[in-house]
Amino acid sequence: MTVNRDARLRDALRALGRDDAERTAPAHVEAHVIGDIRRLARDRRSRTARRAAALAVAAVVVVATVALIRVRRSERPADAPGVSQEITTAFLPLPYSGVPVSNGAIVRLRVPRAALASFGLLAPDASDAASDATVTADVIVGDDGLARAVRFVRASVHKEQTR
Amino acid sequence: MDEGILIARAGHGDEEAFAQLYARHQGPLYRYALHMCPQAADDVVQEAFLAVIQRPDGYDASRGTVAQYLFGIARRQVKRRIGDFHDPPVTDGDGVDENTPLDELIQIDSVARVRAAVDALPPVFREVVVLCDLQEMTYHEAAAIVGCPIGTLRSRLHRGRAQLANRLAAAPAAVGSGRRR
Repeated sequence: MTVNRDARLRDALRALGRDDAERTAPAHVEAHVIGDIRRLARDRRSRTARRAAALAVAAVVVVATVALIRVRRSERPADAPGVSQEITTAFLPLPYSGVPVSNGAIVRLRVPRAALASFGLLAPDASDAASDATVTADVIVGDDGLARAVRFVRASVHKEQTR
Repeated sequence: MDEGILIARAGHGDEEAFAQLYARHQGPLYRYALHMCPQAADDVVQEAFLAVIQRPDGYDASRGTVAQYLFGIARRQVKRRIGDFHDPPVTDGDGVDENTPLDELIQIDSVARVRAAVDALPPVFREVVVLCDLQEMTYHEAAAIVGCPIGTLRSRLHRGRAQLANRLAAAPAAVGSGRRR
């Protein structure tokens, strides 16, 4: 192509490009996608509400269990003095970890021991890992109700020898 | 706001984030779809944005810009409808006939004719002409969308322009009215 013809063709294509620039997707395209966004948001809110309810139930169970244990301990003679300590994993990201969060809270709950395996962690005391066994976990929950990260907690008691 | 964050927010139901994303990208995507697959341009754009909100984690900033990501989705939608693009074998039509009075045939006011000629190109050439010449993307940006080396892109562009010049020069009346949708 000669330089002049090449330039003519480019000019013609630029003119077409300028003409094209006025073209935008019809309004119904955006409306359809917005409709889907709203439907997905409704579904997520519904799932979040169910999760929140499950978390609340779990929290109540945990609180009740802890209270029961304390009551029973207070009824027994004091054991040898000891120091209770927790061993925790690092916080592990959950599927919504990438969603920005301004406020959040750490919720402690009991989760199935199988949850450890889903993060590639070996279950402690695997020998007694019954299928219905649970482990303690701390979950970071954003103000939007989405769980961002989880860590697993294991209680460890070091008894001090006094005798 | 960073476009990666916009995608994440839009994917989690933030309509304002989606509106920003849509306003920035719908035009170029729609114009690309109109040239590649005019009968389903609306659907191509719609499905590209639906993919974003249904799979917000699908965007990886290390692999390219949001525009490239959206064009990639739109391109797959186009291929689903018109089939894969293949480089046709080199023919005489890939060179320009120097005896044709092209200068006289290509006028700035013949937009409809140029549009029809572009839309009659084989998809593999039409795509690069649309991206580089009509949307004025750099070779690097267009190659990232098309998924080919820059050398291949330049070769397709050269052949596409040559075919376009020949089409415009050879049969101006047969190119069509270029009626807009």
